[in-house]
Amino acid sequence: MSGHRDSHRAERLGIDRRRFLEASAGAAGALFLAACDSMGPKSAAKLLKFAEAKNETLERVLLRHSSMDVPRAGAKAAGGSFPSYFVSRHVPVWDETARGAWRLEVGGMVKAPLSLSLTDLAALPRIGYKLDHFCVEGWTAVATRTGVRLREIAKLAGVDPAAKYVDFQSFDDDYHESWDVESAMHPQTLIVYAQDGHYLNAAWGAPARVYSPTKLGYKNTKYLTRIMFMPVRNGGYWSDRGYEWYGGV
Amino acid sequence: MKRHHGVVRITHWINAIALTIMIGSGLRIFNAYPAFARRGETFCCYPFERVPIPANLTFGGWLAGARNWHFAMMWVLVVNGLVYLGFIYLHGEWRDLVPRRGIFRDALEMVRFYLNQRKDHPRQGKHNALQRLAYFSMPIVGIVAVVTGIAIWKPVELSPLTTLLGGYVWARYWHFLAMVALVALTIGHVFMVFTVDPYSLQSMITGGYREDLSPEARNARPFVHLLPNPKPES
Repeated sequence: MSGHRDSHRAERLGIDRRRFLEASAGAAGALFLAACDSMGPKSAAKLLKFAEAKNETLERVLLRHSSMDVPRAGAKAAGGSFPSYFVSRHVPVWDETARGAWRLEVGGMVKAPLSLSLTDLAALPRIGYKLDHFCVEGWTAVATRTGVRLREIAKLAGVDPAAKYVDFQSFDDDYHESWDVESAMHPQTLIVYAQDGHYLNAAWGAPARVYSPTKLGYKNTKYLTRIMFMPVRNGGYWSDRGYEWYGGV
Repeated sequence: MKRHHGVVRITHWINAIALTIMIGSGLRIFNAYPAFARRGETFCCYPFERVPIPANLTFGGWLAGARNWHFAMMWVLVVNGLVYLGFIYLHGEWRDLVPRRGIFRDALEMVRFYLNQRKDHPRQGKHNALQRLAYFSMPIVGIVAVVTGIAIWKPVELSPLTTLLGGYVWARYWHFLAMVALVALTIGHVFMVFTVDPYSLQSMITGGYREDLSPEARNARPFVHLLPNPKPES
């Protein structure tokens, strides 16, 4: 009987030791948690890049030119609450005296490079959509965007089918973002010159910007100067700084 | 005796790590816009609008870092969850988890016992009624978190799903609430493990479990009868 109790105690000791080990494992876990608000281990960077590449493949499969953004019925237009955003120190305004009249250049792998004035743009087939804007930060805003479908402009310029990427460049410092050409040819991808029925103001990207609900806000370059069709991707302001290059919605 | 199969133990700990990273990075993403209202609108149902989550509860360092972690770890969470669900379905463990007739009555008895309204621990099988409810809801809330997460990841390409959930703003809200439910379940679970059945930790690591140390055998409530029953001298 006492022999049985001894072995019992020994077993209990064994459990205590195990529990000590388990408690240490718990403490290590707590230390890991205390390291929070960190970017995580550097060695993970490669894995994260790998996951991003795989996600892009999936996102490209999901992209449909037939899937259209329709804001929820009753969603209020953001109007004046629409945030203004640029990377320059001050609101970028095209300086006509220094740079001449603003024009939108369309070039790269095209048969007929274009140089469009605002009047030229406004003369092209006009289309307006009430659209959601999906910001990478998680907010949304509804606005009516008026402009020209980029696919119309691409047709005019005669884009080489080998051009798989498009770079949208701006006069907001070095801000630019390059896209896959499939997203750029989506029917809701517009070169926008008016918002909520008025020509864009300087805070919202005047004179023209690209806008598509299929891309997160940061992919939609404002203060547009040039659209370049390219055989390779050209990164972008935020995608070079760690945000997803594809940034699909 | 063996209490948890190796597959259950491994998926449990992978889930613990993946969920921790998903929640930490998710909170960091949330902090970029700690509100739900569409711009120019108000949102009915969130009282802490514009109050960020304390940074030391978040993971990822900044928005892009957190997003990269979130969109990588989501695959670990989903694949691990599918392995777990597939395993318990094929191997039969689901029978210990699905609610049985009288589950709510049994759960009430457990609550009464924990609140000292009842002297003896209710009889139970592998898990008590409260555990069954918790372990059954966990995967369901997990599925809600994944589905709402997909809806706010692709609100245009998968717009039928997002619309079904009430649109982007509401889907984001359901995603947030699913996270709150997962955190609440986890806190309850960890609290009960340490205050009622710390011996079960071993069963989730090596698989072994001693029935004579079970809460039922010890008549254990939180913090009460935590130590093994001394055998009565005969």
